[in-house]
Amino acid sequence: MIILSRRDFFNQAVRLSCAALGILRSSFAFAQNPVSKPAGATVIIARRTDVHVRPGQVSSEIIRTMLDQGIIKLTGAADGTRAWLSIFNPGETIGIKVNAMGGRNICTHTEVAYAVAGSLVNAGFKPQQIIIWDRLTEELERGGYKINRGNNDVLCFGTDNDYEPEPEAAGSIGSCFSTILSRQCDALISIPVLKDHDLSGVSLNLKNFYGAIHNPNKYHDNGCDPYIADLNAHPYIKNKLRLIICDGLTAQCSGGPGYKPQWAWPYSGLLFSRDPVAIDRTGCQIIEEQRKFKGLQTLAETGRSPKHILSAAQRGLGVADIHTITRIMV
Amino acid sequence: MKQQPVSRRSFLKCLSCGLCAFGFDALRPIVTTPPLFSVQTLAAEPESLKEVMFYKKLPDLKVECGICPKQCRIADLERGYCGNKENRGGTYYTLIHSKPCAVHTDPIEKKPLFHCLPSTLAFSIATAGCNFECRFCQNWNIAQYRPEQVESSFMPPAAATRLAREQNCQTIAYTYSEPTVFYEYMYDCAVEGQKAGIGSVMISNGFINEEPLRKLCRKLIAVKVDLKSFSDKFYKDYCSGELAPVLKTLQILKETGLWFEIVVLVIPTLNDNAAEIKGMTQWIYKNLGPDVPVHFTRFHPMYKIKNLPPTPVSTLETCYLTARDAGLHFVYIGNVPGHQAENTYCPRCSKMLIQRMSYAIIQNTIPAGTCSCGQPIPGVWKLPRMA
Repeated sequence: MIILSRRDFFNQAVRLSCAALGILRSSFAFAQNPVSKPAGATVIIARRTDVHVRPGQVSSEIIRTMLDQGIIKLTGAADGTRAWLSIFNPGETIGIKVNAMGGRNICTHTEVAYAVAGSLVNAGFKPQQIIIWDRLTEELERGGYKINRGNNDVLCFGTDNDYEPEPEAAGSIGSCFSTILSRQCDALISIPVLKDHDLSGVSLNLKNFYGAIHNPNKYHDNGCDPYIADLNAHPYIKNKLRLIICDGLTAQCSGGPGYKPQWAWPYSGLLFSRDPVAIDRTGCQIIEEQRKFKGLQTLAETGRSPKHILSAAQRGLGVADIHTITRIMV
Repeated sequence: MKQQPVSRRSFLKCLSCGLCAFGFDALRPIVTTPPLFSVQTLAAEPESLKEVMFYKKLPDLKVECGICPKQCRIADLERGYCGNKENRGGTYYTLIHSKPCAVHTDPIEKKPLFHCLPSTLAFSIATAGCNFECRFCQNWNIAQYRPEQVESSFMPPAAATRLAREQNCQTIAYTYSEPTVFYEYMYDCAVEGQKAGIGSVMISNGFINEEPLRKLCRKLIAVKVDLKSFSDKFYKDYCSGELAPVLKTLQILKETGLWFEIVVLVIPTLNDNAAEIKGMTQWIYKNLGPDVPVHFTRFHPMYKIKNLPPTPVSTLETCYLTARDAGLHFVYIGNVPGHQAENTYCPRCSKMLIQRMSYAIIQNTIPAGTCSCGQPIPGVWKLPRMA
């Protein structure tokens, strides 16, 4: 529970108004663009078994192809450039939130993040308008990312200790947000990893934003529910998140969030959606299928049903009903 | 509450001492970041992982922490609730051993410990992290952060002891954040301190498991426990904690004979209910005896509770009277400089024994801990001989 002073209330109100104006501006841009029809609860899955060139190495070229196929299918645009421009407005700074926590073996592949950044550059965005980010610079480095804070290339760095000075509330959570999220980015792409999580059941898009607050350790009780959902309902995330690309090139069906080779498998796929809940529900189903294949109990049977996905849907963040999610393979 | 008249002379004396006290400490921030000793005195920071002292290894590289009643079960690469310990491949490490983020020299009265070596200095250290999340946390910008989010220095226990001695401190205080979550560092510092004849005091929320507590008690000379409320609901809703383990800690401290004092931060409308204060003070009397000092301190808006005003002095005075009515001998009002209830009075003859102004001692008539009427005043009045 957060109780605000009048001054804080006004501060937050001003901030929220600014955020709302930003959203209105981008919605207006959407309305003007005939190809930018939101895809709703659609999840596109691009799979290529040959994406794994050899153990531990993926093909950047094949990833770029998968990316183009996925984004074009998702947006219905005629080509990649138009697809990206149907989602992002020229002049916007775009944050790419990766998940580097698990180390090299089970983090967002650098090849995926840089392919996304490259596509944005090809679509006309300056490299300096793109920030690949996560909680810690050190974790990004461990994941193979090249840190860049300012030269003429795509930016890449962690929040480290650069958080908003005061905590902000969203339902059950009260946290200081990364200033990369709150101040530097106008729009967001989330690129989580397709993996199991010891407490929340799965760690996909919704949980990816635990890496955007200063105190995620305070929100792991009760399978992280309703904390994950409440966090994603905060305007910084809800209003800025435009696209989710779930990295399932190497996925993990048990033992997460750390890398467990016995439970990792080459799913060799990328999932695309603009619905932050539908993509998690779909990813969860893929993990459940693999668990069944491996003879493991369901997540619910292990007491780790990902309740936060349903909670997120209840907050109006997206669609959790698997029957109303359109899954399209490309 | 009856106020004693103050002469002009004693008023001026109080004022000058108070100003000195403020100049000495109160006008400085509660914590210094970066720490006071940052450049020359401290070595470059090496990777100093240390295995947690109390935890269990579980299947699938998981661990269960045994330091506090949260008993966090933590998967590989994850951290516990406190945020400063990490499971790395099935071994649980503390990330903040020898890495204080706040280092300060305080009067021991600031802790507050009123019956423990009055007028002495406590070398005060803290690391990032806490096992609670009090919505009114006064030091939230270290206690509610993870180690990598705050500036810290490398200060191993031997260096802490050396610096304490150089600063003429009789004690090392583990304070500001929650020392339970930097247990290993605190324990090792206390051991080093003992060797050097420096005592250790823990300033804690009391949310600690019995085994680590008993082990630690042998290395401390005093403890201050925050009793945040006498309502489990309050603990759950406003602290993410529980009441029962804190009460158990107080009972263990009583049983071990270690000196301890209790602080109750009184927050308007949240934990200042008269019946609750009455229940709390009666419990203290019955379970801990009349001699444990209880400090009712004034709340100031902070962290996630900013709409409430500072606690009215009258509320604190009501708490004071309730506690006295319950039979407690040593009741204090804190964060109200100059209040009569900052002083220590003899429970037998009512004589004022120690006069305080904020963190300064103006007059101490019981250096040996006995009133002129012969009444012994409980506390630690002389640094005990270290084992």
